[in-house]
Amino acid sequence: MSAPAIPPHASAIPLHAPAVSLHAPAISLDGVSKRFGDLQVLSDIRFDVADGESVALLGTSGCGKSTLLNIIAGLLGPDAGVLSINGQPANGGQHPSLSYMFQEDRLLPWRTARANAEFGLEAAHPVLPAHERHALADTVLQMVGLDGFGHVYPHQLSGGMRSRVALARSLVTAPRILLMDEPFSKLDPQTRSQMHDELLRIRSLRQVSVLFVTHDVEEAIVLADRVIVLAPRPGRVREIVTVDLPHPRKATEPAVAEAIRQLRLLI
Amino acid sequence: MPNATRFSRTTTVAQRCTLFVVLLALWWLASLRMPTFVLPGPQRVALALIALMHSRTFLPDLGITLWRVVAGFVLAAVVGGPLGIVLGSNRTAAQLFEPLLSIVNTVSSAIWAVFAIIWFGISNATTIFVVFMTAMPLILTNVWKGAQTVDRQYVELARSFRMSPAQIMRKIYLPTILPHFFAGARLAFGFGWRVSLVAETIGSSNGIGYRLRQAADLVQTDQVFAWTVTLVVLMLILEGGVLKPVERRLFRWKKD
Repeated sequence: MSAPAIPPHASAIPLHAPAVSLHAPAISLDGVSKRFGDLQVLSDIRFDVADGESVALLGTSGCGKSTLLNIIAGLLGPDAGVLSINGQPANGGQHPSLSYMFQEDRLLPWRTARANAEFGLEAAHPVLPAHERHALADTVLQMVGLDGFGHVYPHQLSGGMRSRVALARSLVTAPRILLMDEPFSKLDPQTRSQMHDELLRIRSLRQVSVLFVTHDVEEAIVLADRVIVLAPRPGRVREIVTVDLPHPRKATEPAVAEAIRQLRLLI
Repeated sequence: MPNATRFSRTTTVAQRCTLFVVLLALWWLASLRMPTFVLPGPQRVALALIALMHSRTFLPDLGITLWRVVAGFVLAAVVGGPLGIVLGSNRTAAQLFEPLLSIVNTVSSAIWAVFAIIWFGISNATTIFVVFMTAMPLILTNVWKGAQTVDRQYVELARSFRMSPAQIMRKIYLPTILPHFFAGARLAFGFGWRVSLVAETIGSSNGIGYRLRQAADLVQTDQVFAWTVTLVVLMLILEGGVLKPVERRLFRWKKD
């Protein structure tokens, strides 16, 4: 609250300065822009996600959240700007330490839960032997609380369980960065909050940085260390908010409820 | 639940048996009023069937016809499958070849048989060709439609895990297409089996079709009936003993 005019979206970065200086940021965006034809979707996006940090991308629909996530995942190329993953410039292609969890669970219906969880390991070079893949898949299924459900087909699972399998599939490659595009938005509120607890628990087990897209303010406050608020048309960073509350964060607690209220005022 | 299914299964069996007996009785009644060369009775056909099964040419005839059908069918699958995948994943190719497929589909199997005789004479190739020309478009069309149903989201998922195009083909495309291929193959095998007899009646010197024509020429109607019964039983065994179990095993992941 001292010095000359800092751009608003940079105001929160000094709070995380120690973490940033020790390690290269897990994700770093510098002036990333994207247009589809005449439509400017993203304009001059710059922020970092520190190693081990959980960051929410929050905004109304049409502000380019998913496009931004696809760029970071390497599924889309930016028109301008630099994207770095673990301090290395990432130019095209997907980074091996990244895992992407989609809005839909996208479980392959012809595969059992375990075979679905193994899916991400099958692209590995050199090829992993089948028994190692099985073992790794069983480990992550156990981690998400689906011990003993390995042989079950997706259509036999509930929405929450399917979401757990999708999470297991994202974790099986032991990613350092987990990207999530509104991964729990199709679940009922109770199951969603269970998945939030699950995610927080797993994040403390495995040192993984999380960047997730959401339009749910409560989800952002419950899960994130920092919330990046995007403004639409073109998508740009409006504000970066640090959430400095102890876990677990229940929306019914006054401090959490107040944080949710404050954040809601920003969008 | 298991009780209910067992109950419905017994009912089905009972219904089938009743239908069979009723048809047999109608056949018998009708045959009483007709000359034998028009409609032989069930006993007469049964005797002819027994005699047929004891004849020295029965198994060779059955074998050679089966072999021709299977050869034509396998060729159709080997050509139609990959071609269907190419057309299903490539819009330009699809647009280019769609009219050709319509043309092939409108040509009757009998015309293919005539062409086959001109080109291959009295040989195995004649029947195989006719089966191929009938079965291939069916398999191709089904695989093509199947390839169009491949979910872009699954492809994107595979790409997010850095899978190669070959891996995407094997792990996303093929499992999606397999049920469509199976449906097409089933249809194609049934059609191929039927047209093979037509081809054999005019372009062959052995096999079931040839024997059928022989029996017709000599007005041995009971022989024609005996072969018909053999073919129907064979198809039922193939359906219940091979196709159904394979389908159940391959598609056990599907909702009932």
